[in-house]
Amino acid sequence: MKPLMLQGHERSITQIKYNREGDLLFSVAKDSTPNVWYTINGERLGTYDGHRGTVWSVDVNWDSTKLLTGAADLSSRLWDCETGAVINVYETKSSVRSCNFSFCGNLFNYTTDRQMKHEPRICVFDIREPADAEPALSFVVDTKEMSKPMCSLWGALNEYLITGHDDGTISHWDLKTGQLLHSVKEHTMLIKDMQLSSDQMMLVTASKDKTAKLYDAPTLEHLKTYKTDRPVNSAAISPIRDHVVLGGGQEAMEVTTTSTKVGKFDAKFFHLVFEEEFGRVKGHFGPINSLAFHPNGKSYSSGGEDGFVRMHEFDQSYLDFEFEC
Amino acid sequence: MVANMDDEEQWEDVKSRKKRVEITNGFEEEPDFSDPDDYVDDISDSELLPDLLEKRPKEADGIDAVIVVDNVPMVGADRLPKLKTVISKIFSKFGPIHSDYYPEKDGKTVGYIFIEYEMFQGARDAVKGADLYKLDRSHTLRVNLFSDFDKYKNVKEEWTPPERQPFKDVGNLHYYLEEEDCSDQFSIIYEGGQKTAILLNSTSGPSVVEERPRWTETYTRWSPKGSYLATFHGKGIALWGGEKFKQIQRFAHPGVQLIDFSPCERYLVTFSPMPEPGNDEMQAVIIWEIFTGPKKRTFQADMSGDDDRQWPIFKWSHDGKYLARKAKGVLSVYETPSMGLLDKKSISIDGISEFFWSPADNMLAFWIAERNEIPARVIILSIPSRKEVRVKNLFNVADIRLNWHKQGKFLCVKVDRYNKAKKANISNFEIFHIQEKQVPVDIVELKEQVNAFAWEPTGNKFCCLHGESPRISATFYEIKGGKVECLETMERKQASHIFWSPAGQFVLLAGLNSATSQLEFIDTSDMSVMNTGEHLMVSDIEWDPTGRYLVSIVSWWAHKIDNAYWVWSFQGRLLRKHPTEQLCQLLWRPRPPTLLSHSQIKKIRKEHKSYSKIFEAKDRQLQNRASKEIIEKRRQLMERYLSYRRQCREVYLETTPYRRELRNGVNTDEVDSHAEDWDEVTVEILLEEEDIVLSDKE
Repeated sequence: MKPLMLQGHERSITQIKYNREGDLLFSVAKDSTPNVWYTINGERLGTYDGHRGTVWSVDVNWDSTKLLTGAADLSSRLWDCETGAVINVYETKSSVRSCNFSFCGNLFNYTTDRQMKHEPRICVFDIREPADAEPALSFVVDTKEMSKPMCSLWGALNEYLITGHDDGTISHWDLKTGQLLHSVKEHTMLIKDMQLSSDQMMLVTASKDKTAKLYDAPTLEHLKTYKTDRPVNSAAISPIRDHVVLGGGQEAMEVTTTSTKVGKFDAKFFHLVFEEEFGRVKGHFGPINSLAFHPNGKSYSSGGEDGFVRMHEFDQSYLDFEFEC
Repeated sequence: MVANMDDEEQWEDVKSRKKRVEITNGFEEEPDFSDPDDYVDDISDSELLPDLLEKRPKEADGIDAVIVVDNVPMVGADRLPKLKTVISKIFSKFGPIHSDYYPEKDGKTVGYIFIEYEMFQGARDAVKGADLYKLDRSHTLRVNLFSDFDKYKNVKEEWTPPERQPFKDVGNLHYYLEEEDCSDQFSIIYEGGQKTAILLNSTSGPSVVEERPRWTETYTRWSPKGSYLATFHGKGIALWGGEKFKQIQRFAHPGVQLIDFSPCERYLVTFSPMPEPGNDEMQAVIIWEIFTGPKKRTFQADMSGDDDRQWPIFKWSHDGKYLARKAKGVLSVYETPSMGLLDKKSISIDGISEFFWSPADNMLAFWIAERNEIPARVIILSIPSRKEVRVKNLFNVADIRLNWHKQGKFLCVKVDRYNKAKKANISNFEIFHIQEKQVPVDIVELKEQVNAFAWEPTGNKFCCLHGESPRISATFYEIKGGKVECLETMERKQASHIFWSPAGQFVLLAGLNSATSQLEFIDTSDMSVMNTGEHLMVSDIEWDPTGRYLVSIVSWWAHKIDNAYWVWSFQGRLLRKHPTEQLCQLLWRPRPPTLLSHSQIKKIRKEHKSYSKIFEAKDRQLQNRASKEIIEKRRQLMERYLSYRRQCREVYLETTPYRRELRNGVNTDEVDSHAEDWDEVTVEILLEEEDIVLSDKE
């Protein structure tokens, strides 16, 4: 499988996401311009111009009409997906670390960093309201009691919000009151990324403690652990196979001391149930920051610290591969 | 009343005066501490100043400083002054002498004298230093403390034998040799020294035998035959052994840093740079008897010179009968079990540089550097006869390295010389054939700098790495029928170290602590490279004692990330990788030498094929069982997972109506479940165009 190299960013990729059908891929990076690509040939369809700082997070709604970005320029922006026009700018007090559309696409949330004496905040907006309307929900995460959230997701059917924290905790929040429902701490270090399975029943977390873990999303019951020898930056669950893919590498400041030969920047494929690694894909010459499966499960993409997005089509041998059991 | 009035007046007076004082200089006047006239002191001196009284001179102090010297020549008055000058010359170096007394009888001295030092230290040092002093052929001085005489006089007539110590059964120290599959144990220290574990390396992977937190404070050592594991602590050394790794012995030596076992595991030498508290003497080196535990002898170490900088300070002969140490110009050989100097005299060798015991005989080799037009010499000395077995002079020598053949058949002397430009070193080897008559010497010329050298542990081959980086070559030699033959030179190797398999024949060339980290497995029977591997940033290599496995280690002490040990087969097949958090040290547990005779081993070799069938069948069986176990485990995991997923599916299907509601009635459960709504888009892709004009050149 010869990967498609998507070269459109000037700096490290921070997150990539497919739309629901998988014909488009959105990428955001430490440069301030989100990109959108055709997945069929890797051609760049366009850019979303307006941010003035690192864009940390991106999401597209289910019918691919609107795009949401969260950035370090103290704003979260809602774009018209097709034209690239800004619909709304939501100003924040500190940089936006993560943002997501709800299942229905009418609501979205963002989480902010702890910065300049501002405590981290979690907000939920209704996009049908005008830009200056009050948020549907807004509350502060008290850093005296728990560490700051690093990533967030909507639970199934918009019932709750899931956050992954700096100390390895994951939490559920009530969407009506902003109350902490429950939290578990399986990881020992910060959680870089969380992704749900296609049916939203399972949750995979990627942590700096060199592991990725699988949870039952509604109960946060810990199911599996995937161990590697490097901090894990991103993990994704295959929509068609019992596989997870992990990407990571040592921290950017240590990168120069290791050669690419060691294979620490490889994407690693694990069997979801057996927790065994069965394959690797190399290519990046820096840590992988974000991974995503195509919704049809027949290809996946990775975005790296090296600024490239690589789109890999799976070989038939991958699709045929079965573990002996 | 009047008196009171006076008092008040006086008080006022004092107050006003005090004010004046404060105004004038700001200081308060000191209160009066002197006793009233009628005060009687009722505190005794001992209560008041016990510390001072402690130092009050005592009667005994004088006696302690007196020594008695025996075996002094008996002389008349005419020669007494001469004797006195000789005696005072000997004894004044231990401290200032207060007085001396030469008892006389019939005009002649009686053969013993008394000397009183000003301080006790002088007397103590004189007893240590001057006892057994050879004044001349017939007079060997004996020196004792005067106060000791009382002690010796009071010895009881009857001798009571010391109480029998109950025998402590430590169990079978070599139980690990009874392991069914002859798997070997190894120790690891990991988590930055927090944890120490003993693991068993079986065919299916290592399993933990014992694991303890903070078992050692620095590192661990196995005894040479594998009976004991030594751990290091602030207060000393502890030895562990037996099936449960119980503590067998403790040796208190504060600040101990280095240890060395005697080859027979009877003695332990410990070194600490720290003085023992309460004892101002430096007991840097202590020799202990392992099984019973007492100190056998203590030595001081001289850290100013080079002699004691290298560990071990004491080198053991192969059978543990002798131990030797070199100091400036002398080689001291001690005997066991007395730990006394062999023949009570050190061997004086001016300029001794380095010495090594033969691994097979009580023979040691050393060399003397070139100086003042005297050529450098390599000498082989037999112990205890002190006979020089062979002496060889060498000229224009820069440095010499001695390498004994592992069975003591040969001594390879690597001689470094400067080339004509006086720049780079060039080396050659001088091979001493120890077992032949008159010890003939072969010379192997290399004309290049030698970086590493190693003898095959069993057999007569040796390997060396030579040349300048990056153009390093490896050359193999074999001594056949008394002749040195070059087997092969392999060029362009990225290696810095040679690791022979303990069983011989196979050798690993490794580049340690370098960017290449290449591992090359070579079979020296046909000089083929069996395999090459790479373990990035590898810092240590350890062959297992049987030569079946090899581990490459990235130690936390050398490199802060990727700490792991990898297990390789002797052919160079990577068997397993074990990333271990902050792995510090890995050591295989040694095995004692085989008890089989040479002919028995030969017989086993001959019948090797019949054995190997059995082992292969066993391996297959194990593998089958292991893979069966894995498959069984996977099947169970899968079952559990599938039942979990069935529940998920039920919940998912139940909630389908809600999902549709949220997405305006569109079914999005599958990627293409509302394909009828899709718009078909045709994407045209322009591939690159290029015109190439093909023309014939005429």
